[in-house]
Amino acid sequence: MIETAVVQTVKKNYLTEKQGILSWLFSTDHKRIAILYTFSITVFFFLGGFFALMMRLELLSPTSWLVSVGTYNKLFTMHGIIMVWFFLIPSIPGTLGNFLIPMMIGAKDLAFPKLNLLSWYIYMLGGLVTVYALFRGGVDTGWTFYTPFSTSYSTTYVISAAVGILIAGFSSIITGLNFIATIHRMRAPGLTWFRLPIFIWSMYASSMILVLATPVLAITLLMVAVERIFQVGIFDPALGGDPVLFQHMFWFYSHPAVYIMVLPGMAVISEIFPAFSRKPLFGYKAVAFSSIAIAVIGFLVWGHHMFVAGESAYSALAFSFLSYCVAVPSAIKVFNWTATMYKGSVSWDTPMLYAIGFVGLFTIGGMTGLFLAALGFDVHVHDTYFVIAHFHYIMVGGTVMAFLGGVHYWWPKVSGKMYPEGIARLSALVVFLGFNLTFFPQFVLGYLGMPRRYAAYPPEFQMLHVLSTAGASILGVGYVLPLCYLIWAWHYGRDAGPNPWRATGLEWKTESPPPTHNFEVTPIVTAEQPYDYEAMKEELQLV
Amino acid sequence: MSETATLACREQFATPEQQRETSSIGMWIFLASEIMMFGGLFVAYSVYRLSHPQAFQEASAHMDILLGSINSAILLTSSLSLAFAEHSAQAGSRNLLAIFLIATMLIGLAFLGIKFTEYYEHYQQHEAPGIWFDATGPHASGIQMFFVFYFVMTGLHAIHMIVGLGILFALLLRTMLGTFTAEYHSPILFGGLYWHFVDIIWIFLYAIFYLPGLHK
Amino acid sequence: MIEPLSRKSYTFAWLGLLGLVLLNTLIAFLNLGPWNMIIAVGIATVMASIVAGFLMHALYDSKVVRIVLAGGVIWFLIFVSLTLTDYMTRGWLGVPGK
Repeated sequence: MIETAVVQTVKKNYLTEKQGILSWLFSTDHKRIAILYTFSITVFFFLGGFFALMMRLELLSPTSWLVSVGTYNKLFTMHGIIMVWFFLIPSIPGTLGNFLIPMMIGAKDLAFPKLNLLSWYIYMLGGLVTVYALFRGGVDTGWTFYTPFSTSYSTTYVISAAVGILIAGFSSIITGLNFIATIHRMRAPGLTWFRLPIFIWSMYASSMILVLATPVLAITLLMVAVERIFQVGIFDPALGGDPVLFQHMFWFYSHPAVYIMVLPGMAVISEIFPAFSRKPLFGYKAVAFSSIAIAVIGFLVWGHHMFVAGESAYSALAFSFLSYCVAVPSAIKVFNWTATMYKGSVSWDTPMLYAIGFVGLFTIGGMTGLFLAALGFDVHVHDTYFVIAHFHYIMVGGTVMAFLGGVHYWWPKVSGKMYPEGIARLSALVVFLGFNLTFFPQFVLGYLGMPRRYAAYPPEFQMLHVLSTAGASILGVGYVLPLCYLIWAWHYGRDAGPNPWRATGLEWKTESPPPTHNFEVTPIVTAEQPYDYEAMKEELQLV
Repeated sequence: MSETATLACREQFATPEQQRETSSIGMWIFLASEIMMFGGLFVAYSVYRLSHPQAFQEASAHMDILLGSINSAILLTSSLSLAFAEHSAQAGSRNLLAIFLIATMLIGLAFLGIKFTEYYEHYQQHEAPGIWFDATGPHASGIQMFFVFYFVMTGLHAIHMIVGLGILFALLLRTMLGTFTAEYHSPILFGGLYWHFVDIIWIFLYAIFYLPGLHK
Repeated sequence: MIEPLSRKSYTFAWLGLLGLVLLNTLIAFLNLGPWNMIIAVGIATVMASIVAGFLMHALYDSKVVRIVLAGGVIWFLIFVSLTLTDYMTRGWLGVPGK
């Protein structure tokens, strides 16, 4: 019997190059750091989701039955804090941004790889401090920490939560800094600004906000902590302070923060539409400049959170007008994504399902934002479920769907394996249906007068609340399914190859999973435009 | 690991020039974020100054203009000595670089010494906000607000100075180890950017805390 | 490589800064009403520009650096001006609380 030794050279990639937990925890490879972030944000997502589930169960009955009203206050606060600062803000930048930005520009890594790792550790430290606040008993001020309740009256762990968020904020600033420097100076030869994928433009815009807005949050939370410790009345009217000033400072960050949350989602969508319509993105420059416009105008509208808080009528008018303006670049993007599909060869794979869902739900969320920008209307629906439905349509119907779409689209690149398409499509459908059943009734609830942050409510609202809770449980299933089949696919999925979607973009021109330094040879970009599907069609026909 | 990676041109960069330019952009982005952080405090100060003009002016009269102006002069001088340090680094003069770094640090320490002396003076005069504050009169709460901002803003500034001293010390150590040459010394330049920025913040703090109370 | 300024240039910048802080302090002794604050911050701004432009080499560095610096300053101005627009227009409507 002749034994033939078959020598197989297994090409080393970023996953196999170094093994062991320490090689992961001390890795400065942007791809490994992206995976570290993925673990963290997934844990925080389900933690925040657990609080949401508890809230929705409580709201099944008009009276307080599952938890006390004090506990309910803690539930909505912790749900908000964790979802905003420990899931939505770091999710796409920390995972897809970290993984893809160097690859899309043909670089070996980000500009500052060690800072990148530090940013994950700072985020985890912030998370730990916040979870500590949770275990000590939670916070009940709402994620918005309005004063003087948060500074002078709440007996919960405000300072711990504020410090945890403050620490996590520095992680955001470092990430944004890294992205901006990288995009400016690490692009491959030939990759001029207008040859960049829109993903890069939108992530750049988002990074601008990360760097300029987050420091204001840090200082605002620091002031809250100082006031709580020294009882000095910066924001407490009883001690000579101004609570509206707190709101100005808080919302100066927190409004742009929502664009930190949605711009990366738009970045993902702008990549999925061309790939699954096999057509260049319609109106490239308009979409590129709209990303920057959203970031800039997004800083000018924060007063729309304060229409009934006591700001002057003229200031409210200015903020209302500017809030209408900020919708324009978003609308431009929606039109251009849709136009990309026109006369394209559209395929209905999972990423595209999430992307189309995004466009529809983001549009509803955005339009209801316009309702809220109208001063007269806002007076009636401020602090009602209408507002809650509005921002969940954008954050969940928008960002979370975009995140899931992006995870599926780039899953083959990250893991080297394909996910199972059948169950993935089914999950996307479950998410879409569950989402709408959860949040559409909330528009009606808000319009009819149901206030937000109330555990008990008049019995006539119960039917809509029950529908919403039913939707939430379906939505929960829709989120658990990808967790299961993606982990399955990591081990048992079929091999994907470098470019399973036959998409344009430098990230698809290297192996799946990529080697540690991304490219064997630094690519030189000669294509005139980034989404050159015409050229690809000819290429494929010649083969 | 690339064998050609060095301090001046790390793995992810193609040339030392690219590394220097990228690091410079990174440092300036960090400084822009610091502008926004201190900026939040300046905004809050502006709001209260608008609403309590007499109280703020009266409070500012309690500031020690002699110590404040001396501190301004010496901090500006530390920026000069640091600029000389950068110049020496670019010329490749290790000894001069070390001397000027030490001079900058000593001046910085002197600044902090004067600052903490002022803090103690205010504490003794019952001007420190919170449980240590004791004033009467119609403007008492406005005066306390002034001192809240004074302590928070100059305190944050002082913390930045202490961090700056740490950075200068680290740079000094590396200088003594011979790390820097005429070709590679960008950490000196970037540390310098940070120090100069902290000086700029002081320029504005001096203007808003020490000057309002000088006239009647 | 950023071309360094000479030590003479740095010394002139320093002397200018010392002169300006002295000027600012002396002017503060005069009662100029609302102009006091404006002049104080104005002179401080000139001083800051000298430090940024010469000592921090912003005038000699790449365009990106100047854009980043301008961005930080402009964003701070957006913050302060829109916030003060609220406070300075309170009571203009003649309706209580607006």
